[in-house]
Amino acid sequence: MRIVMLTTLIILGFAASATEAANKNRHERFVKNYEGTQTCLKCHEEEAETFFHTQHYQWRGATPDLVNSGGQELGKLSMVNDFCTNPTGPQWIGKVKNADGKTLAKGCSSCHSGLGKPPAQEISREQLENMDCLICHASGYRRDLYATEDGGWEWKPILWKNQEGLNSVARRIQIPDRTMCLRCHSASGGGPNFKRGDIEYTLKDPPRSFDVHMASDGKDMTCVDCHEGEAHRVRGRGVDMAATDSPDAPLSCEGECHTATPHEITALDMHTDRVNCTACHIPTFARDEPTDMFRDWSNIYFSEEKGKYVYTAEFEQNVVPAYAWFNGKSRVQVPGVPVDRIESGAVAIVLPEGSKDDPAAKIHAFKVHRGKLPVLDDKQWLVPIATEEFYAHGDIDKAVREAAESFYGMDEIEYSWNDTIRYMGIFHEVVPREDALGCLDCHRPGGRMDWQALGYDGDPLEDKLRASR
Amino acid sequence: MKTTLHLTMAAFVGVLALGFSTLATTPAASADGKELYREYCKGCHEEGSPNGEYTPMSLIQDQWTRFFDKKYTRTHKSVIDEKHGGKPVTETISPEDLELIREFSIEGAADSEHPMTCG
Repeated sequence: MRIVMLTTLIILGFAASATEAANKNRHERFVKNYEGTQTCLKCHEEEAETFFHTQHYQWRGATPDLVNSGGQELGKLSMVNDFCTNPTGPQWIGKVKNADGKTLAKGCSSCHSGLGKPPAQEISREQLENMDCLICHASGYRRDLYATEDGGWEWKPILWKNQEGLNSVARRIQIPDRTMCLRCHSASGGGPNFKRGDIEYTLKDPPRSFDVHMASDGKDMTCVDCHEGEAHRVRGRGVDMAATDSPDAPLSCEGECHTATPHEITALDMHTDRVNCTACHIPTFARDEPTDMFRDWSNIYFSEEKGKYVYTAEFEQNVVPAYAWFNGKSRVQVPGVPVDRIESGAVAIVLPEGSKDDPAAKIHAFKVHRGKLPVLDDKQWLVPIATEEFYAHGDIDKAVREAAESFYGMDEIEYSWNDTIRYMGIFHEVVPREDALGCLDCHRPGGRMDWQALGYDGDPLEDKLRASR
Repeated sequence: MKTTLHLTMAAFVGVLALGFSTLATTPAASADGKELYREYCKGCHEEGSPNGEYTPMSLIQDQWTRFFDKKYTRTHKSVIDEKHGGKPVTETISPEDLELIREFSIEGAADSEHPMTCG
């Protein structure tokens, strides 16, 4: 009996090691000499073709979860956002330097999964070879921006002059781990945790108190454990992503991992019909790195510290989320149509759909980002900003006019600055249950829920208690 | 490839030491690896240097480890560091400082993980 058990353990041990080995460094014997993406394409052309159609490459896609897109494909590439505004045109790629020769910006493509060419609608050999497989699949891969012989720019491995080192990195192919995803997702919006608020570089190796799912002393889950879809597509779009990469495989806590009644206390399980997990289990976000809560592009100044002109921004750390209803659909500000304003007059960049009376809606946790962007006086269209022009010269008026020309083809414009608001779902930095919100965090006078804003007359618990008397 | 690397390293250290000639500057005891790297290494290995440009990002962690473990002494012992008293580099840089330079190089190596930024 002991022998059988020992043998079983040995076999299981070998199986576990084999799985790990299969996940990492399985290209040791395939990549003899890495010569760019064409090396990957020799075996993975089919995979590259699937990747071409994804949001990670196209930066736009089908929008079944938007209520006002009119069926058009939208995404980062075609919209105007309240952080870096829009990546197309001159800000796609290129080095902007100041008088001291310091590089101020390298372009939005620094986080595109390509090597510098913008994504095209039609697949081609050039587009396939433009993909940078290593940015997502090779541990220890780093790249930088280099001038090309024809006067353009391209992203290249920083090891391009060290073939031995480059080969070593190119052989470390694996399913993306947290570090690889965080390379781009933790520094979007211009710096560490600027944009998302709940996707910090700390998630590379967080303690359980920071995130129960990703902690190595917790579940040690990777991003793809939840977000992996079919054919390189990603599951889950949050609230403020325009396109949905995997419409047939929506992502939810409930179902594959947790039941609809996961608590051991009935009173808590009674919440799950109307309250999303995030509302209680992410009491605060941006717990390590402050996040950008307000970005005013109309109020610019020269930063001696950074050696460049900058917008005015307000950062906050350990932010208590805002709470709102969300039924899985969103309303976004579509470019080239008159802006929608909320009651305060702010242009709604993204709003979650749903209300108390919508049975599909639940209360979710949000980061509410505010900003100030230009709007055309006559057409009332939102205008992006030519950020590279701005960083170089600090002339924000010129940067708005240049963007209007490159984005809309308009050379004569009048515009005004307008407040903006954007709701961003908070889904990460889930704390251990002992640190989740308790009853009185919400159900007491002055608690964190704004019941009126959620459509109630007052605390709904009080109504229930009153009715039961 | 290996030969080229050896030669480059040797040249790197050689010119490194030659470049630091008469100024017998001793970095403060609290100096970190980056400061020490600048003090002892950068002068001979800046961009365009005939000795080869070397920053931590020039090599991967394994290559830096191999360099410090197996090549450093061999390639630097006969390189005179004029800037720090005219002694061989290997006698100029204390074992403690060398350890800090090593840590700095490995931590910032080309295959060390860092988030991407656009600026």
